[in-house]
Amino acid sequence: MTILMPEPDQSVLARRDEIIAALRKIVPGEGVISSAAEMKPYESDGLMAYRQPPMVVVLPSTTKQVSEVLRYCHQNGIKVVPRGSGTSLSGGALPLADGVLLGLGKFKRIREIDFDNRAVVVEPGVTNLAISQAVDHAGFYYAPDPSSQIACSIGGNIAENSGGVHCLKYGMTTNNVLGCEIVLMTGEILKIGGKAAECAGYDLMGVITGSEGLLGVITEVTVRILRKPETARALMIGFQSVEAAGQCVADVISAGIIPGGMEMMDKPAIHAAEAFVHAGYPLDVEALLIIELDGPQVEVDELISRVEAIALGCGSTTCQISTSEQQRLLFWSGRKAAFPAVGRISPDYLCMDGTIPRKQLPLVLRRMNEMSEKYGLRVANVFHAGDGNLHPLILYDANKPGEQDAAEAFGADILKLCVEVGGVLTGEHGVGIEKRDLMPEMFSDIDLNQQQRLKCAFDSEGLLNPGKVFPTLHRCAELGRMHVHKGQLPFPDIPRF
Amino acid sequence: MDTLKVRDAQEVEDAVRAAIANEQPIEIVGHGSKRSIGQLMSTNAVLELSALNAVTAYEPNELIITVQAGAPMADVLSLIDSKNQQFAFEPMDTAALLGTSPGAGTVAGMISAGLAGPRRIKAGGARDHLLGANAVSGFGESFKAGGKVVKNVTGYDLCKLLAGSWGTLAVMTEVTLKVTPRPESERTLVLRGLGDVVANKAMTAALGSPYDVTGAAHLPGSALRTTVGALAEIAQPDQSLTLLRLEGITSSASHRAQSLRAALKSFGDAELIEDDASAALWRAVRDVEPFAASGPRALWSVWRIVCPPAAGGAFGEQLSRESGGEVIYDWGGGLIWAALPPATDGHAKALRQRVEKIGGHASLIRGSDAVRAGIDVFHPQPAGLAALGSRVKRSFDPTNILNRGRMSRGSAT
Ligand SMILES: Cc1cc2nc3c(=O)[nH]c(=O)nc-3n(C[C@H](O)[C@H](O)[C@H](O)COP(=O)(O)OP(=O)(O)OC[C@H]3O[C@@H](n4cnc5c(N)ncnc54)[C@H](O)[C@@H]3O)c2cc1C
Ligand SMILES: Cc1cc2nc3c(=O)[nH]c(=O)nc-3n(C[C@H](O)[C@H](O)[C@H](O)COP(=O)(O)OP(=O)(O)OC[C@H]3O[C@@H](n4cnc5c(N)ncnc54)[C@H](O)[C@@H]3O)c2cc1C
Repeated sequence: MTILMPEPDQSVLARRDEIIAALRKIVPGEGVISSAAEMKPYESDGLMAYRQPPMVVVLPSTTKQVSEVLRYCHQNGIKVVPRGSGTSLSGGALPLADGVLLGLGKFKRIREIDFDNRAVVVEPGVTNLAISQAVDHAGFYYAPDPSSQIACSIGGNIAENSGGVHCLKYGMTTNNVLGCEIVLMTGEILKIGGKAAECAGYDLMGVITGSEGLLGVITEVTVRILRKPETARALMIGFQSVEAAGQCVADVISAGIIPGGMEMMDKPAIHAAEAFVHAGYPLDVEALLIIELDGPQVEVDELISRVEAIALGCGSTTCQISTSEQQRLLFWSGRKAAFPAVGRISPDYLCMDGTIPRKQLPLVLRRMNEMSEKYGLRVANVFHAGDGNLHPLILYDANKPGEQDAAEAFGADILKLCVEVGGVLTGEHGVGIEKRDLMPEMFSDIDLNQQQRLKCAFDSEGLLNPGKVFPTLHRCAELGRMHVHKGQLPFPDIPRF
Repeated sequence: MDTLKVRDAQEVEDAVRAAIANEQPIEIVGHGSKRSIGQLMSTNAVLELSALNAVTAYEPNELIITVQAGAPMADVLSLIDSKNQQFAFEPMDTAALLGTSPGAGTVAGMISAGLAGPRRIKAGGARDHLLGANAVSGFGESFKAGGKVVKNVTGYDLCKLLAGSWGTLAVMTEVTLKVTPRPESERTLVLRGLGDVVANKAMTAALGSPYDVTGAAHLPGSALRTTVGALAEIAQPDQSLTLLRLEGITSSASHRAQSLRAALKSFGDAELIEDDASAALWRAVRDVEPFAASGPRALWSVWRIVCPPAAGGAFGEQLSRESGGEVIYDWGGGLIWAALPPATDGHAKALRQRVEKIGGHASLIRGSDAVRAGIDVFHPQPAGLAALGSRVKRSFDPTNILNRGRMSRGSAT
């Protein structure tokens, strides 16, 4: 493990018993977990290579309890790590040895369904899928659909600004959230937004979304729901080269078509998925595109034929079009199971997540192949083709000495490459601890300082989820200093009128 | 008043640093088309961005465009139009409403104002389309926020804060925006003669249907009485218009229009207006033409009220009845433009008390200097949020050098 976490505060650890007793007063009964055995499940999130038992786990069930826990921790200089369902793949919910792990799993109620305003008010521990299920009977759904949607919590989705296959057309979490209740580290409870399309003042909801649990604890969320499209159909198109597939994606978009989903898999991913789910994927192609069109029947039928023609023009060698809902789901089954499928062909794998300008895809894939040779590790690629979000899966065996380190170095090289070609370090999984030390690849010190100043506006002591996202921790006072030289000539050569 | 016309990002940084050193607050201006919006400021130096007007990169296939902050909106719109693309949030042109010269306005000014038009209900607002920005903070430091790709969760999403911040957090020097394909065609269904509450129900039904409505507006007869242009052409005396828009490939838009018309049968028999005529109608709604500054309501205050959509009709009806004013509804009832007859406080107190009860907020977009001097132009926030807002402002601009006092009276922002 190469990631350094903040040095545990020995004076806090020395007071562990006293702290646990105080927390038990706030959250009675089984809401405080302190035995090593019972804390075990909380040691890591979806990024399982990193583990750390917390000092104590607290599972509040009301906003008031969250507020009191945070106020107590704030007053006593104790760090807090919020946790939803723990499916984060970037280590956002990794506990701290001297910190409270604050689990929101008991916040499970759907508080209000308001079809007229197309809004649902839920507690943060409700799973993403449960929201869609709760409104399904009326023909509505919640659009962002991370592959982890059966498990991940809406609070975690907001903290990570999660997306899924649908987000090309329907946006990420940030485009689908209307408001929230948030508890600041001081214990102060704030309501931001609501059922109106916009909130007054600065767009605080916008910056809380994707803030990875560093700004406040979300205790209630209002999301926008949409009416389900009349129908959806998918095309499964094979190409003899990744370039041809990439061209097809570009041509679809140039033709003014924004599909409900547009996903690409490379040869190793196709083979792994086919062996796992038998979706009928062609095995003799270099790249497979799954393109889904949704909307009214007439529209979908017409767009399907337009996309088919575009694909043919790009040299597609196979093209199947779903004729039933079952077949559509079958096309998707391999893509949706790509991660576990790859898990079957390799003892371990690392799932990377970077975004690139789409036109750079051929170059990036070529360079990745070179790196694969250099590190002696295989890589399989699944790719949100429509929006340039790559998920290279690096295959390795943790039991072979040096392989994990090599896989991590390989992963870092891929992300650096993404930035180099004009992209970013993460498209949907967040920075967490995984990409924390790569942040300087994308941002200057000044850029990072500006982000940390914002953190100070919410959490002046830096007690909420420290050690995540930012490679260097700064004190707020130091960040507030201004570096302007007095006596500088005002506006030396700027023309005026 | 000193006007500093900067030519590049470095000069912006120099100018802000000098302003900090001299403790001289500066007003940030693109073309200045929206100078009449906001709290009256007491700055006497202007930083003008209009010379930063280049298009840095436009990649239609990547769905992004990067421009310098002062790029003229009109040029950028015609550029992306030439590639059959658009800003999906359909930003409004405030010229008619504010009585400023047509054709003015910069991209950063538009983003800073954060205004979005009818398609917001489907596509989101300006905040949803700002992917990245280079800016100079009130620390006098150039920083970048976001990126130049459509999907990005690296670090805090500072772009969301910049959109709609009216230049109070940082001076943008370059912005990257998302563009989307322009729909092949559009259809508008027109229902006539509905009262506000019933119209609100019709819009709710339409927006809850699977037909993918991209505009839902209601114009009461009273608001149409003095209007000119596209709306006047289809209006009949004292008869309201309820407009519902469908966009997409031609076959689909037509088909959905028919399905929606059938679904809304109980509200009346809808007329169908197509393509250019439809586009003209929505431009008029977007730009709030019935309340144009050149019209008979020139001296009336104009408010922009955002509320839960289904609550809009009843609220607006009561507001117009009690104030003697006029309203029009967009966003299915979630956006109400209200023109209210002269009153010392522009009706701020009464309006806000009521709008808060339905979970909405109201900002004054057009008002006399006297009215603006006496009230909070932007909706005042509860104490906790206001304090957090001030801390956010200080985290970008600790000495309050940028657009001092534009967003809230007597406080840091
Ligand atoms: C198999 C698999 C597939 C996945 N697919 C996708 C995908 O398609 N798209 C995608 O975007 N992600 C995906 N993920 C990643 C992950 O599911 C998302 O990031 C998800 O949003 C995390 O939610 P969670 O409830 O599990 O959060 P956790 O893992 O518990 O926490 C994640 C972060 O959010 C913070 N947090 C959690 N709850 C709160 C709260 N209430 N208030 C404040 N902060 C909070 C934590 O501190 C942490 O920083 C996948 C993960 C797995 C395991
Ligand atoms: C033909 C035409 C069509 C148009 N169509 C649309 C349209 O479809 N949608 C649309 O939205 N607009 C449209 N507009 C213009 C638009 O309505 C705005 O008027 C314009 O974009 C505002 O820019 P400004 O530079 O005049 O604003 P200003 O009044 O100069 O500034 C507005 C606010 O932004 C701040 N600001 C300005 N520049 C910066 C900066 N660089 N960094 C930080 N803050 C800054 C200011 O301080 C102020 O608070 C159109 C204009 C024309 C000419």
